[in-house]
Amino acid sequence: MNRPNPILFALYRGALRVYPSRLRLLYQDQMLQTVRDADSERSYSALYFWLYLFADLAKSSIKERLLMISKQILAHPIFFHTFALGLILTLWGFPAAMTLQGAMRSAADQPQIQMAQNYASEIASGKLATDLIPTVHLDLSTSLEPFTILYDADGNPLRSSGYIGEAVPTPPPGVFTYLRTHPTDKFTWQPQPDLRIAAVAQRVDGTHPGFILVGRSLTLVQQQENQLRRGTFITWFSLMALLIGGAALLNRAQSATPRPAAAQG
Amino acid sequence: MSEPPEPHQPLTPSVFAILLALSDGEKHGYAIMKEAALPAGGAINLGPGTLYGTIDRLIRDGLVEETGLTDDARRRYYRLTDLGERILAAETARLSASLRTARTRAVARGART
Repeated sequence: MNRPNPILFALYRGALRVYPSRLRLLYQDQMLQTVRDADSERSYSALYFWLYLFADLAKSSIKERLLMISKQILAHPIFFHTFALGLILTLWGFPAAMTLQGAMRSAADQPQIQMAQNYASEIASGKLATDLIPTVHLDLSTSLEPFTILYDADGNPLRSSGYIGEAVPTPPPGVFTYLRTHPTDKFTWQPQPDLRIAAVAQRVDGTHPGFILVGRSLTLVQQQENQLRRGTFITWFSLMALLIGGAALLNRAQSATPRPAAAQG
Repeated sequence: MSEPPEPHQPLTPSVFAILLALSDGEKHGYAIMKEAALPAGGAINLGPGTLYGTIDRLIRDGLVEETGLTDDARRRYYRLTDLGERILAAETARLSASLRTARTRAVARGART
């Protein structure tokens, strides 16, 4: 009688650890004996034989473990319902929080959208930018006020109410390229690492073509977003803790309740 | 109206092949595997993992039992219980009815074409 390849046999014996422990305790010796028997009468290649054995072990281990889990869940319906409720709350809560966050970010584009449109149409109709853009010097790293910058058709700044230090910031060149084929663009602009700006850029047509950019620091919105994120996670953790705690208490109470005498017999 | 099916019906091909293999007497694991792989036994390739997982469920459901006899500590024998025999008979009847219908329809289709 042939003996199975000792290395592959030892590997298979080791791989049996993936099989559920209860079944392994009951059937390990029989499984190994079956492998010996099958190998001694094998009429096809050893490679196929061992590949098939390992694939079968992997497949059946997953199947048996899934069956065990589903059985355990069905044996404790309270935990099943808790899990389902937790899943529903999570699937509903997180998209709701993300929608709220998206709405907060969209709201941060106002009043820039309106201001950019007004400036662009007024400059296009012949008004001078010097009359429109206020002569103020807003430090963008600290100011929460909306600021305006007018660029010429080549993207060079002509007039600005917002500065970083003493320099007028310039958005990425892709913004102007985009505006040459589109009338307006909304984007989050990060001119320096700790500064994010909700910016709206508008193409200016007419006798003095160029671009107008109106922006506002997102510092306040970021603080609100952080609060929302923190609040969402705290609420989620509290709800899950309440659910799990409640389910555990209910399960313990049910286990402690004595069964009716008829059912015990 | 037809009779209600047995609670375990329909059987999976693996379960049917194992019950069929045990229908002519007690067998150990490898003998079940060999017989299930034959065309007459269902042509089902059962690896040891699938075989013993299924046997364990069949024992718990009361369709199969260990005989207690063994020719080696590592080779145990299994046999059908009365319930197992009844379920196998019911499944065989169910499959036979389906097969009859399929054959009748195939003949009718052949006559039409």
